[in-house]
Amino acid sequence: MTADPVIETRGVGMRFQGFTALKDVNVRIQPGILTSIIGPNGAGKSTFFNILSGALRPSDGRVLFQGNDITGTSPHQFAHIGIAKSFQITNLFPNFTALENVRIGLQAHVSRYGLWRRRALLQGLTEEAMALLDTVGLADCAQRPARELAHGQQRALEIAVALAARPRLLLMDEPTAGMSPEETRVMMDLIRKLVGERTVVLVEHKMKMVMSISERLVVLHHGELIAEGTPDDIRGNEMVRRVYLGQGQH
Amino acid sequence: MDGITPQLLALQVFTGLALGAIYVLLAVGLSLIFGMLTVVNFAHGAFFMLGAYVGVFAAEQTGSFWAALVLAPLAVAAVGMVCERWLIRPLYGRGIDYPLLLTFGLAYIMVEGVRIGFGKSGLPFDTPELLQGSVSLGFADFPTYRLFVIAVVAALLLGLWLLIERTSFGLIVRAGARDPVIVRVLGIDVSRVWLLVFGMGTGIAALAGVLSAPLQGVSPEMGTSVLTVAFVVTVVGGMGSLMGAVVAGLLVGVVESLAVLFFPEAAKVSMFVLMAGVLLVRPQGLFGRAGLMA
Amino acid sequence: MTTTIKAAAPPIEIGTRHPARRALRAIAKHRIAATFVVLAVFPWLMPYQSLAINILIYGLYAVGFNLLFGYTGLLSFGHAAFLGVGAYTAGILIAQHGTAWWLAIPLAIVAGCVVALAMGLLAIRTRGIYFAMVTLALSQCVYFLIYQLPASGGENGLRGVNVSEVSLLGLKLDLLNPMQKYYFVFAFVMVAMAVLSRILASPFGGAIEAVRENEARARACGFDVERTKLLSFVLSAGFCALAGALNAIHLSSVPIETLHYATSGMVVMLCLLGGMGTYFGPFVGAALLLLIQDTASAWTEHWQLYVGIVFIFFVLFFPKGVWGTLLERLNHDR
Repeated sequence: MTADPVIETRGVGMRFQGFTALKDVNVRIQPGILTSIIGPNGAGKSTFFNILSGALRPSDGRVLFQGNDITGTSPHQFAHIGIAKSFQITNLFPNFTALENVRIGLQAHVSRYGLWRRRALLQGLTEEAMALLDTVGLADCAQRPARELAHGQQRALEIAVALAARPRLLLMDEPTAGMSPEETRVMMDLIRKLVGERTVVLVEHKMKMVMSISERLVVLHHGELIAEGTPDDIRGNEMVRRVYLGQGQH
Repeated sequence: MDGITPQLLALQVFTGLALGAIYVLLAVGLSLIFGMLTVVNFAHGAFFMLGAYVGVFAAEQTGSFWAALVLAPLAVAAVGMVCERWLIRPLYGRGIDYPLLLTFGLAYIMVEGVRIGFGKSGLPFDTPELLQGSVSLGFADFPTYRLFVIAVVAALLLGLWLLIERTSFGLIVRAGARDPVIVRVLGIDVSRVWLLVFGMGTGIAALAGVLSAPLQGVSPEMGTSVLTVAFVVTVVGGMGSLMGAVVAGLLVGVVESLAVLFFPEAAKVSMFVLMAGVLLVRPQGLFGRAGLMA
Repeated sequence: MTTTIKAAAPPIEIGTRHPARRALRAIAKHRIAATFVVLAVFPWLMPYQSLAINILIYGLYAVGFNLLFGYTGLLSFGHAAFLGVGAYTAGILIAQHGTAWWLAIPLAIVAGCVVALAMGLLAIRTRGIYFAMVTLALSQCVYFLIYQLPASGGENGLRGVNVSEVSLLGLKLDLLNPMQKYYFVFAFVMVAMAVLSRILASPFGGAIEAVRENEARARACGFDVERTKLLSFVLSAGFCALAGALNAIHLSSVPIETLHYATSGMVVMLCLLGGMGTYFGPFVGAALLLLIQDTASAWTEHWQLYVGIVFIFFVLFFPKGVWGTLLERLNHDR
């Protein structure tokens, strides 16, 4: 019934100097759909996200990507194996133009140490970068420095740069953070557009948004997996209701 | 290796501890300043030197070494606070390199200023009469002054520990070191803490300078050579850790003193070998935390 | 987000009408040629050629440092080690082993790079805040090691690095003639600047700027940040070692001060005063500092105090340096 997972964690745990952030988390992310990771504050969502994206190495357990054990792979290799992420706090190259931001992301897969050729001549990178900017709706901002863009535009650029890694798995940490309802709607449309040819995993707080666009949900609480399933499954789940009681729904 | 008696060994270790005690003071000051302000103080050696000079000056004027021991750190701390308020603080938003560069420039000016004011060749400084001679501790005689240095440093560390672990000011310093936002939210004027911490750090460096004056005299260059040691100790111990500063400072002092005994040619390089070793095995330092301000 | 430093080439602006900006764009496109012209004419503008040669050599030293600091974003306080290793290697080979200059200089560059590899492997793996401290400490270590080497001459420095005449492919230069000596050094500097230009325009040039702009983002994009930094460190040392070798030939000696902390600090000042992360800034910084030193030391022996004050002033108010600020003003005049 379910296809082989794109990425899965087996018994993953994370400890920071005596504090256990995650414990025995077993998650299988199905390919081609949008999965959201939710949970109250302190549930370990960010820690789990960082393990999936390679920024953290788990204390216990293994992470498998497309069947291969990637536990302990260097963080910078993740973009090369097909996992890309957008950060919770906008993390761009501030003085590069929007185009250059995306282009350098593309260049990382073509040449990282080339000392001799002019990088401006690397075929196709500029066109592909423009195409990615167009996908996220930033084609007319191409020549502006990233630091001069509006917040919503920067979040969109963040996604374009992540897409430059041509990822099979796109991880997004609170992509609509700090956005107005209008900007959130635009971002949600964009995310919907991206799912399908890629697998998308989202960490989000805005429950209404999460419920409307996710095909599957993973619920964490105090570092443990407490529920997994479709939005309907989760809505009906007693434990999840209890955990969120008093938190209020967005 | 003939001629190395247990007495000689003990004496060297003891000398190393006295030397290390000075290093500990320097590293503690550096760590305090970095922990609270995220500033790598490249003027730390210059404040050490300034402390030594002010100490010599104060001792001459008042005729009392004890007065110098108290006045010099206070005077230098005042200078430090002025520098923090007007020169370093404007740069906090700009990334960690700029305050560093400023302190480097500050050191440059301070050294030149001292050269202009006190001459280039340095001044001798005699060990105060009360502390001359040696004390017999069982099987060997240890120089009184070095014993004094160790005692002063130990007392200061105890006082510092009590301040940081047991007072509300110390709580702010500890919190500020980790999360300045929280401190601001609590409604405390962080800038006042910055001022005091920088003053404390430079004051402690100045104290180290006064203490070391009888051991090596004072010269405008003394700050530069000691800066290197302070950095080595900080890297070995781990920035931001009081325990690390103490352990690493004493370790570097003892290693250096023993190296003089066993490998005299390599003595000067011994601390770098130690540092390289630590960097290979534990890059964040013996007591440092990995990942903090990577 | 790190400090705002201009990228190597000014952004491509659509519809530039301001004549100064158009001229600037043209110059930027042909920066090697522009540098060639300025530096070729330079010695005729200076009161004496020895000063011009010093500016050229220290400019090259700053160029090497700038590759690491201005373009990659790593602040090292130990670059005197590379200047010194280059100088002593070339010096010892020439003075004590009769090596020809055209072999001694490349070997000096290699020596600098090897030392940088060793230093870099230790300095780069630590926390970023330690980098300045570790590089300072390691270069002090190099200083002590070379000081104790009998061949180096210790406190008195190395003497007898005599290259009085060079000939290559029929062209002869008399190095006892200051003007000809300038053009000898100039030739090497131009080759170095051409190489630098290629590096900056290459994919690696993009990588180092990405690391400077945002290390975490660069890593997420797939750049091996540590390896990129190490390569930049080694390349930077190569330029500085070349400057050291040329200096040894220029002075016919190598003073031990070459390895002092003050020399490491000096290049930091040169780079900031001139303009970090700009192609030509280092030469502007070298000219500024050496001219101040030259004129001020005639009036007062405490010129260093004034340099320090000027430096602090720049750190506080003009962090982009003379050239960097000029470029910024010209590019953003709206």
